[in-house]
Amino acid sequence: MTDLQYRIRDYRQRTAPGAIAIHVLGAALFVAAAGLFWRGSGLFGVPLLGMVGLTAVGWRTHQGETARGLTLLAAALTVSVMLLIVGYLLVHARDAFEHMGVELLWMLEGPFWEPPSPEGNYSLTPLLVGTALTTVIATMVAAPIGIAGAVFLSEMAPERVRVVVKPGVELLAGIPSITYGFVGLVLVNQYFYAQFQTPTIASYFAAGLMIGLMSLPTVVSVAEDALSAVPESMKSGSLAMGSTEWQTTKSVTIPAAFSGVSAAVMLGVGRAMGETMAATVMLSHSKGIPVPFFDVFSRYGETLTTVIAQEAPNATGGMHESALFAAGVVLFVSVMSLSIGAQYVEWRMYRKLGGES
Amino acid sequence: MSTIDDTGVVAGVARLRNATTLPTMALSLLTVLMGWLVLFQQVGETNEYLGLPIVELFAISVLVQGLAIGGLGVASYVGALQSTSDRTAGLFTGAFVGSLWAVVTAVLVTVVAGLRMVYWPGSSVWIFSGIPVPLGILLSLLGGVVGFLAVVLPREDLGATLPVSALLVPLGMFALVGPLTVPWTYEPGWTTVVFPGSEVLPFAFFVTSLLGCWTLAKISEGFGATGRQRGAYYLIGVSVAATLGVLGMLVYFIVDKGFATLSTGASFDGWGGRLVLPVVDWAVPWFDANLPFVFNQPGGLFVDVPGVWPAILGTIWLVIGALVVAVPLGIGAAIFLTEYVERGRITQLVEVVTNGLWSTPSIVFGLFGMAFLMPRLSNGGRSMIVAQLVLGFMLLPLVLITSREAIISVPDEYRDASAALGVSRWKTVRSVVLPAAMPGVITGVILGVGRIAGETAPLLLVFGGQPYPSTKSPVSGGKGILESFSFSLQPPFITNSALTERGTALPFQLYTSITAGSSPKPEVFSLSEFGWGTALVLLLVVMGFFAIGVASRLYFRRKLNYE
Repeated sequence: MTDLQYRIRDYRQRTAPGAIAIHVLGAALFVAAAGLFWRGSGLFGVPLLGMVGLTAVGWRTHQGETARGLTLLAAALTVSVMLLIVGYLLVHARDAFEHMGVELLWMLEGPFWEPPSPEGNYSLTPLLVGTALTTVIATMVAAPIGIAGAVFLSEMAPERVRVVVKPGVELLAGIPSITYGFVGLVLVNQYFYAQFQTPTIASYFAAGLMIGLMSLPTVVSVAEDALSAVPESMKSGSLAMGSTEWQTTKSVTIPAAFSGVSAAVMLGVGRAMGETMAATVMLSHSKGIPVPFFDVFSRYGETLTTVIAQEAPNATGGMHESALFAAGVVLFVSVMSLSIGAQYVEWRMYRKLGGES
Repeated sequence: MSTIDDTGVVAGVARLRNATTLPTMALSLLTVLMGWLVLFQQVGETNEYLGLPIVELFAISVLVQGLAIGGLGVASYVGALQSTSDRTAGLFTGAFVGSLWAVVTAVLVTVVAGLRMVYWPGSSVWIFSGIPVPLGILLSLLGGVVGFLAVVLPREDLGATLPVSALLVPLGMFALVGPLTVPWTYEPGWTTVVFPGSEVLPFAFFVTSLLGCWTLAKISEGFGATGRQRGAYYLIGVSVAATLGVLGMLVYFIVDKGFATLSTGASFDGWGGRLVLPVVDWAVPWFDANLPFVFNQPGGLFVDVPGVWPAILGTIWLVIGALVVAVPLGIGAAIFLTEYVERGRITQLVEVVTNGLWSTPSIVFGLFGMAFLMPRLSNGGRSMIVAQLVLGFMLLPLVLITSREAIISVPDEYRDASAALGVSRWKTVRSVVLPAAMPGVITGVILGVGRIAGETAPLLLVFGGQPYPSTKSPVSGGKGILESFSFSLQPPFITNSALTERGTALPFQLYTSITAGSSPKPEVFSLSEFGWGTALVLLLVVMGFFAIGVASRLYFRRKLNYE
């Protein structure tokens, strides 16, 4: 508390009265605009225009302080967008959580999904199974090959190859997912349907393969960064002891960069989990739990993301929409925890490599 | 442990070893390559070479590799082949070979024990005949463990070779004399899918030859640390090459098939200057060309070749809108966090939030736009402005992260020098820090735009309109965005009816060409032809952004290095 008081006094002493007026007025106008926007009033433009005018005035009289206020506003807006997204998801998903209880997440007997009835069942279990299956397959593709690719790029490839392949991998990471989906639908799904006689043209296996291929460049890119961040002195030390380059890679570089590499895999898993378009066009959109649950060629095909992409554009409010938001919440929570976990291990690694400083 | 006197002998032994391993390695590399080509349908599985069907050639190759590996391993163990074998082949080899053993055991269990799923009459359950599933899983795990121990426990020259040989030799033999032939099928029982020999065998040959190549590379250096290094380099090199091949093939398919669509009706008539860009009505000087797939609209009565022009414009407008939202906010927030706040709790919190925002799945942004922005900005309907905002929010974390990194990396000496001259903090930021950080910011923004331009999922929820619009405008009202601004004295003073319309963009156009079920003009393009064309245009646009971003990074980095 005293700290806050001290800060306020400090601010008032260091800031010109005119600048304080501009800050207070700007904050008031912003709150007014945000409040009106929140309530869905079209009048939010009025205080917004007022802010523009105020900024113009402030820019001429107290440029430094106005700029400071504006940057604070930008930072606050960024954080509030995040909070708004979380808050809105939770608010809209509440109905579904109350309606279904635990069965929203854990339900073994159908019917699982009965839109648009407000009283019907809406269980995410088959979607969770679908997400788990595609993610596991994608990880089995992306993690080993991705790590191998990163080791190749950072430890083995001659400089000339590296200069070409590294940007190439980043280019591949940028191919839109719908493109992968289109190729997957036209070529991969057809292939499995024709050769392996899958029950429908779509299967978790084909979609998982495609998603894995898609998250591969992400894993390579991040893992390569981690491996390259291992100080040269550590490797030289090992080489000076007479170990081979591969022994150095295996016993010094990879263990030192282990957290970074696992962060890369976690990011790849997160990417695979949140992947929407490739899965949407490649899956059959029928909901159910395969028997046995690991049958990746079954006729079922729906994940947390595809159900939103497929049904949200036509959902007519009520329990159905709320259930879709619940799917969004589950998705968001899992991907967010992966992201935070990855950041934590990465932070630990760089602290470890950086030594004391 | 050889001494100097041994070198002559060692060289002789090495020659002998190379004489046996190198041709076998060449054989296994060739098998890996051909197996890859057959697996990806580039070579037919019934082709014949040297008078033999390709599958039999594969079988012979795997058999030869297996025998050579086993023979050389035993020869090394009894001392006939000098080597620097270690005590054990290592855990990684054990895990790799062990997991293959587990797979083989699983296949054997389902084939021999007849694990099969049957429908239980009168109820809704499926049950398994044969052995129960958990037992099957347990057995295959057991097989894996046995394989693992067989690799890890004996001396390296036996552990690295015999368990591998035990996979290669039976595969080669059964493929040569039956029953593992092209018409053979594998029905695992737990799924209705049938694995045909024509597809499974090339895959098996590919994997086993990769394994063989790895092991032979180890043998060729006489095991030990140098042997394992050579083996690892071969294993990783070959698998990376195979994967790059897959990704390259993917791009090749899009370019190859898309180009046929893209060039339909295209002509280049010299240098007259009649290629007029629609909407802006600007005649490109010198060019007199015709590229209907790019410059036409997809629908409409008088369109001879349907095209994707409205979708291209839509993508451009979405990107512009997203930039207008994200760039000022992101750079502003980055300045605040680096220049005005001490590093601590708050910056850490914002960092976690932005990284979380960056990894949030795009569909979640779409949900947010649908629930929060659509009712407030466009009366609950999908619209351009909501899509721009949503994409802007998606771009925001990247702009913030890269700008922050760029600003942090500006040396403090710059700031100190400026402050020493009596320049205020904001003027320092404006005229010293920002210009120095600009290259990093620009690169980050361009790379982010590449991702935004290809984003589809949120567009389905907040933007998507008709599948095949018949006007050149990106929005379905048919009016241009710039012409639709109207001003009034009543709040909200500025309105733009075009921004509140739903419309189309390149990735959305590709999605609709998958889901619409019919091509805009079936007599010109089939559905998938239109899709391939759209995919190519989208790829070109996105790759264009990425190429510019990567190139600008290389350019700025080089410039910084020379300074």
